[in-house]
Amino acid sequence: MAARIRKAGLPYLLLLPGLGWLAIFFAIPLGYMLFESLKQGTVDTGFVFNWEFSNYANAISAFSKQFVRSFEYAGLATLFALVIGYPLAYVIAFRGGRWRNALLLAVIVPFFVTYLIRTLSWETILSDTGLVSDTLRSIGIMADDGRLLDTTVSVVAGITYNFLPFMILPLYASLERIDPRMLEAGYDLYGRRRDVFLHITLPLSMPGVVAGTLLTFIPAAGDFINAELLGGPNQTMIGNVIQSRYLELADYPTAAALSFILMALMLAVVVIWARIAGTEALLGTERRER
Amino acid sequence: MTDLEREFERTIREEISRRRLLRRGAAGALSFSALAYLAACGSETGGGADTSPEAKAIPKGKVSDSLYFANWPLYIEEDRGTLKDFEKEYGTKVKYVEEINDNNEFFGKVRQQYAQGDSGGRDIHVVTDWMAGRMIRLGYVQKFDKSQLPNATQNLIPRLESPPFDKNRDFSMPWQSGFTGIVYRKDEVKREPKSVDDLFDPDYKGKVTMLTEMRDTVSVVAASMGFDPETASLDEFMQAVDKIGEAAESGQIRAFTGNEYTKDITKGDSVVIIGWSGDAVQLEADNPNIKFVAPESGVHLWTDNMQIPVGAPHAFTAEKMIDFVYRPEVQADITEYVNYICPVEGVQEILTMRDPSIGQNQLIFPDEQTLSNAFIMRQVKPDEERELDEAFQQVIGA
Repeated sequence: MAARIRKAGLPYLLLLPGLGWLAIFFAIPLGYMLFESLKQGTVDTGFVFNWEFSNYANAISAFSKQFVRSFEYAGLATLFALVIGYPLAYVIAFRGGRWRNALLLAVIVPFFVTYLIRTLSWETILSDTGLVSDTLRSIGIMADDGRLLDTTVSVVAGITYNFLPFMILPLYASLERIDPRMLEAGYDLYGRRRDVFLHITLPLSMPGVVAGTLLTFIPAAGDFINAELLGGPNQTMIGNVIQSRYLELADYPTAAALSFILMALMLAVVVIWARIAGTEALLGTERRER
Repeated sequence: MTDLEREFERTIREEISRRRLLRRGAAGALSFSALAYLAACGSETGGGADTSPEAKAIPKGKVSDSLYFANWPLYIEEDRGTLKDFEKEYGTKVKYVEEINDNNEFFGKVRQQYAQGDSGGRDIHVVTDWMAGRMIRLGYVQKFDKSQLPNATQNLIPRLESPPFDKNRDFSMPWQSGFTGIVYRKDEVKREPKSVDDLFDPDYKGKVTMLTEMRDTVSVVAASMGFDPETASLDEFMQAVDKIGEAAESGQIRAFTGNEYTKDITKGDSVVIIGWSGDAVQLEADNPNIKFVAPESGVHLWTDNMQIPVGAPHAFTAEKMIDFVYRPEVQADITEYVNYICPVEGVQEILTMRDPSIGQNQLIFPDEQTLSNAFIMRQVKPDEERELDEAFQQVIGA
């Protein structure tokens, strides 16, 4: 009897460290933040818990522009990362040969440098007098008084660059897993390369696409460093607003409310995306044909 | 501190001066400030000390053998010579911590402790005028016993004797000051920009930056609109915010920056900007095309102030320290290193003997004429401050 209880209790026992971690570093702060978001007051008068739901309404109406912009930038960056990342992952997985590991390493190596430094270096690269701007100007793509830095272009480019590996790695993982015999079977059945790709490779890589897009989109939507360093006053994202509320204005309730709204919106995006792309893909199980 | 650390400090000083460091710090320190945020969320009631003019001053005591001095990074000589001299004279070992990177952030960090009359061990902190005013308002700092500050009373330059937030200098003493004015590229402008209006000239569209520090930007622009920032009404400041907002919206203003403007103007990404005098001294030394000019409508004179927080364990010794840096021969070493405006009389003579170019630099030792063109933004009331801060943050996009 005692042995049976011990056996039944063991999984829960093993769960304890994880649950404890989640409780201390996730659930409690989250609850605290919720509590904070419903307070009212100022630094000078003090904050009082007041069920102040208007914080949410006010935050949405005051910063809808930045919310829309965040999702727009994150969406664009995700799209670009997919367009750039898919062919790259494809080549590494199927044509990499013995260079495969070296190529993968090359994708990850930039990550050995701090996020902040990587982004700051783009400030120099995209500078008005930098190589990129000069080149674009001399071949007539950009107007003489045009610029890249502190524009939407530079912010979206920065986000795309910074989150690209999050797209490439899951894509590579799912592409690499594809059994080459499936592709051979496709060719044996007189499938053209395009058909084989569209009907075999692409569907089988969907888990990677879904994982990659989520891993790119979610952090990108909450990012503030790219907008801060590569953007101007008309490129600020919701992360910048939250930062300024926290640190500059000491307006903790609004900052907390904004964080919750962002979380809810992201959850909505994830659910919708999962519906479209299919939950099987999201969970990584392959679609079974009946 | 090891030689290696000192070497590192010297290296970053080349690239990053004090304020730039703190702006950038804000981005990197977010996770850290989450802790400060948690610390800041507790309940709070009124402050600990009495900061009415009749408040009781710090009582006389014995000089202690340790002192905790909280200051901004790169704001004292590299070898900390001043602190060593202080130890030699008083036998007090100074724990000098460069923990203040941003007025607001520091406030968030200490607020809860200060509110409960606990200084967290600090004996002196250094904050900018308006924050010094807020500290006084909230009762977070102690009143000096002026009889313990003979040098400070005597040697403080007259222009700083009676700021709006602390008329008698009972609760604050300047550490260093600086000007906010126009910095420009001589080789890129049509003519010397003598007025802030030049920053709104369409010819410089997209080549203008302004500071994220609300008081610096708003007061300088308000002055150019004919308002007097020492007395202007909230409405007048708001008009300045609106003007800045329109220019930001239209793309005239490329970005709002902390100290990273030094990089932009060096590269030529910006041409006419609002910037700080201390940086300009350094920038001009590297690139003679970069100039600081005081706009005709006035420069903003700001000061970072030493204060003794409530519950400071060594308040009496802290007074000794404050008075110590007001000895001209002590201050000379600090000023020679930091290049900001020296608040102490008598230093100019000493430094002129060491190096005439420092002694004559208007950005370090401004003369009466230069100072008559300077203003200190008035201390706005808390609700006004909130309204202004809020409006300004909206304008800079956040």
